[in-house]
Amino acid sequence: MASLLDLLVAGLATGAIYALVAVGFTLLWQTSQTINFAQGEFVMLPAFLMLAAMHAGAPFWLAIVIGILLSMILLGLAFKMLLVDPMLRHGVLPLAIATMALAIGMKEAVKQFFSAEASPFPSIVPTNDISVFGHVISLQSLGVFVVAILAVMGLTALLNRTSLGHQMQAAAQNPTVARIIGVPVERMILLTFLINAVLVALASLLITPIYLAKFSSGEVLGQAAFIAAIVGGFNQVRGAIAGGLLIGVLDNLSAAYVSTQYRAAVPLIFLIVIILFRPQGLLGRSEERTV
Amino acid sequence: MSDSILSVHNLIGGYGKMTILNGTTFSVPRAAITTVIGPNGAGKSTVFKAIFGLLKLREGKIVFKDRDVVGLSQRALLNAGICYVPQGRNIFAELSVRHNIELGGVAAGRGIDVASRIEAALDLFPALRRKSAQQASTLSGGEQKQLEIARSLLLDPQLVLIDEPSIGLSPLMVQQTFKILQNLRDRGVSILMIEQNARSALEISDHAIVLELGQTRLADKADRVLHDPRIGQLFLGGAMEETAA
Repeated sequence: MASLLDLLVAGLATGAIYALVAVGFTLLWQTSQTINFAQGEFVMLPAFLMLAAMHAGAPFWLAIVIGILLSMILLGLAFKMLLVDPMLRHGVLPLAIATMALAIGMKEAVKQFFSAEASPFPSIVPTNDISVFGHVISLQSLGVFVVAILAVMGLTALLNRTSLGHQMQAAAQNPTVARIIGVPVERMILLTFLINAVLVALASLLITPIYLAKFSSGEVLGQAAFIAAIVGGFNQVRGAIAGGLLIGVLDNLSAAYVSTQYRAAVPLIFLIVIILFRPQGLLGRSEERTV
Repeated sequence: MSDSILSVHNLIGGYGKMTILNGTTFSVPRAAITTVIGPNGAGKSTVFKAIFGLLKLREGKIVFKDRDVVGLSQRALLNAGICYVPQGRNIFAELSVRHNIELGGVAAGRGIDVASRIEAALDLFPALRRKSAQQASTLSGGEQKQLEIARSLLLDPQLVLIDEPSIGLSPLMVQQTFKILQNLRDRGVSILMIEQNARSALEISDHAIVLELGQTRLADKADRVLHDPRIGQLFLGGAMEETAA
């Protein structure tokens, strides 16, 4: 059995990826009431876009750039304009259901046009192990953790320390007032969709070398990010970060100490406990809806 | 028309099929406080929304400084020199006081020194300066209103539309808020205000407009309206006894 330290590092690594995905998830909710049930598939797709670019002859770095740009166009711009904007007029629930349909469509499309088999994917961080005080630690886990955390920290700094970030927060907290004082609310909402697209592309780049590129890989990820967002607090970026790390560690520890078969059940049980006793999430605030 | 900064002509509009503004017409004098009074449903807030481009008009003309501003975006209106402080709490509760004020300057054009205007706004409101690093949600109701006014001043507006500034404030806070509006007026800013608290509002106002069913019933000097027995009976409560005595 792997050492506790190794399990923790691996847990934090997957947790940091969950956090990336969960942060994007809460951003979409906060700025445009979009509960994106296709968020897991959003993580699945960029890896395939990058693989397709590599098959076409692009070197890995170029494939990454192409993958991120295409994500921004498809999962950011097109998602907002073709699905969210028209559906949001009918309400939050119809939009959520439409994203479920989108998830199915994306999975089937990748299965149909790419492959139903899992494909290997190169890693951007070193994959060998190092020894720290006699413990073997996966350099890949460490690298994934560092990259993901840096990305989250960068985003948090953007949101909290720049005027652009304050405008985004204003547009999310109270769009009517934001508009009245001259914040370009529509542009801020589009920006969150683009940021989400970059976050999922990054998550895809980090997690696919570990779990392989497969059309169905978004199911587990989407669920984990969803649980992370609710556990941490749906309306708080820092809640999503904490929730992501927590679920990642919990997930890995329960796989080792409980049973690999029940690993997915433990975060779900945790979710139920949270909903029962602290429905606003660990760091969330209870939401007062104003008319 | 040059003694008025804003005039609205024959505004017709409302929400859906419901018509609230039935040909509203009035003008707002320059560098003065003008208070709009009238019963509920008279269209006071609606006319503000119409002026600030938040309500689609079926008909009518809104002229600000000799320029028709119907159909302009909020950003364009801000840059033209109009700002709007709506009713209720309109702050970003989770941002700091300073960041809330800063947001008032996002529509500022290049070449405007927003930083020094923020300092000037904080000079005007010492309570806000003391609490500038705190989350805006920790401010009292009156301070939150001050924050909204401070934020609206960052673009150096010539006309401030302010809707029910005294609502939910303690009498002392109401006085302070009115004092701020009077200071602005003395610096040449034109103020168009809606106040439920009509008597105290009229006491600090230069002009008054009485709206009823979406039409202007009366427009006159504030003190004349204040002492008009008909108005007293209708809106000021208790004024009849006073004038009779």
